[in-house]
Amino acid sequence: MAWFPSLRLVAFDAASVAGARLVRGLRGPRLRSLEIVPLPPGALLVSAFTSNLARPAEVSAALVRLREALGPGGVTLILPDGLARVLLLEAPKGADPHEYARFRLGPALPYPVGEAAVDLLPLDGRRLLAAAVRRDVVAGYEAAAAAAGLKTDRVDLAPLVALAGLLRQPRPARTVEIVLGDAALSLAAFEGGRLSAFRSRRRDPGPGEAERVCEEAARTAPSGAGDPPCLRVTGVGARSFRDDLAGAGQAVELAAVLPGVGSPPEAAERPWLGAALA
Amino acid sequence: MSQGRDFSGHPRRAGLSFWDAGLLAAAVAVFALSGYAAGRAQSAVEIARSRLEEARRDSEGARDRLRALESRSGREEGLASRVLLTTEAPPPRVVADLAALVPPDVRLDGVGLAYGRGVELELQVVARRAQAYDLFLKRLTESPRISAVSPGTENRDGEVRASVRATYRPPGSLRE
Repeated sequence: MAWFPSLRLVAFDAASVAGARLVRGLRGPRLRSLEIVPLPPGALLVSAFTSNLARPAEVSAALVRLREALGPGGVTLILPDGLARVLLLEAPKGADPHEYARFRLGPALPYPVGEAAVDLLPLDGRRLLAAAVRRDVVAGYEAAAAAAGLKTDRVDLAPLVALAGLLRQPRPARTVEIVLGDAALSLAAFEGGRLSAFRSRRRDPGPGEAERVCEEAARTAPSGAGDPPCLRVTGVGARSFRDDLAGAGQAVELAAVLPGVGSPPEAAERPWLGAALA
Repeated sequence: MSQGRDFSGHPRRAGLSFWDAGLLAAAVAVFALSGYAAGRAQSAVEIARSRLEEARRDSEGARDRLRALESRSGREEGLASRVLLTTEAPPPRVVADLAALVPPDVRLDGVGLAYGRGVELELQVVARRAQAYDLFLKRLTESPRISAVSPGTENRDGEVRASVRATYRPPGSLRE
């Protein structure tokens, strides 16, 4: 049994791996350290179907550097956006949410549901955000962590963790949160404080990406009369994303994913930290 | 951050932290304390229930004695009343009116009729379910023919066996 244990998170994405160590205090969890190790291009290729670790040795080497910064103890692996099939559902009364999520996700998967790890993020009432990710894909990440000497306690998905943190924040009635990952992004539309739609899509880097994403975010917002939705962005590169849009005359806010002050600037672009620190 | 969600192939259980262990110990202590308090409360309920039963027996005894005194003092008046009642409320009619009130899950093992100033009923009731017995009592109390319904002892262990006292009011008395 550990006394005052730390929470250790290891997040993967196409361009880097990040390790965060959080400690519990009287005023809640606090970020003790955040280490980001860039990955060589092409070492990790985000895909929902096949192993993502194109060059496992290079990913494991980056994880070894994180392990030294994190210290001993189990870690939670956070897998990148772009791996999972995600559905916004409302479970019928009396139905087991996990069974219902598996039932609904099954036909939507391009592989047998028996090969999927399914879990969910509970929302209000019986509504939930269910996600399925292929077990083989998860196993690749776990194997890389094990090869680096990391003991995996749990595996979670970056968009779900980010959304769990964003759900705790106040926002205008009609808002679309844009969560940026290296390879994919997620759009979470809120109407009257409730999550009304959730979509993930591959990123299409290059000129005009920010404008295209904003148009897609506006289409994701519930249709209805009134002002256009408030757009907020978080994740890797959120600041330059906002600046690109400001140049094009489009206003986008930066979502404040981290509570309090004192976190390093890089932490603000890691939305999965928000839920851990809340 | 939710600790329940896990997409790993082989879910592992994280060790208990100091705070988790402390909270667990506190929860166990509160559970034990509440169990002790519940036990104390249960014994208090048993004592109160036995006292209530004793009081009810005393009350029924007093009522019987009062009835006996009343019948003795008003014997002549009672005789005339009985003659009248037997014509207005003959036993077949009383039994027929009672039968109309009995739910399907209830049977009457005994019906005692005592003609005095009114027709005093002593019913031995057997019900398959407590709900059926409660329904029978409800029908009795709501019936214009029945008054002064007084449930007696009852045993709710499985099927309900109970005695009920009531007064039958013949049609003529309703106009009074």
